Amino acid sequence: MQRDYLPGWYATRTRRRLLAGAVACALATFWVNAVVTWVTPGAGAGWADGGADWADIVLWTAVLMVYLPAVTLLNVATRGVTALAERDLDERQVSERLRAVGITHRIMTGILVTLFATTLAVSLYHGRGYSVPGGALLMLAIALFMTHFVLPLVVSGWRLPDPPPDDEDG
Amino acid sequence: MPAEDVYNRISVLRAERGISRKDLAAALGVHYQTIGYLERGEYSPSLFLALRIAEYFDVPLEVVFSLRPFPRLGSGRTG
Repeated sequence: MQRDYLPGWYATRTRRRLLAGAVACALATFWVNAVVTWVTPGAGAGWADGGADWADIVLWTAVLMVYLPAVTLLNVATRGVTALAERDLDERQVSERLRAVGITHRIMTGILVTLFATTLAVSLYHGRGYSVPGGALLMLAIALFMTHFVLPLVVSGWRLPDPPPDDEDG
Repeated sequence: MPAEDVYNRISVLRAERGISRKDLAAALGVHYQTIGYLERGEYSPSLFLALRIAEYFDVPLEVVFSLRPFPRLGSGRTG
């Protein structure tokens, strides 16, 4: 990750932000899927109840076709700041990682508070005895895990300034 | 919070001695882009790294780093 692979894809801040946006959109799909599974019993929960339909397969193939290359390119663009062990980073990279993790922590806190408030509100609306459907719980857990896992990379890629141009001898 | 700008002459010293960013980075054990960010003033080094940079160029710390902008070459000559 300390080398340049396909540098044209992340050479400018705009392109890196497009990659970060693509990963964020893929993450949003996980959340939308979880919400659809929650409000529409049986929908989108193919994995949870043992059989995925074609719509699920097409959707998740499309999401992965965006997610995997974008995450790979962002990792290369950020030189593995959020992926490598600390011993493989220098002090600037470690400080950048700490900043990205700090911002992610605040975002995740907001997401958790929103999720908690939403669950509480829905439970109060439906009254005692209501429980979140199992399929929705699974999808929410996956969305939460994926967001927690990849958000530092998105934040780091979004914040990354343009690298200094190579000097004459490279 | 006041801006904590630290100015440096790494690029001048490097050019003067014909050292590439990658060579300097390898000697200091940092990524070569970190040298670029240092030269552009977009990253202020730790005291440890600052001391190592001064030691590498074999000059006192204040020759490399300053809290005020370094004067441009020739700016002191008014005739």
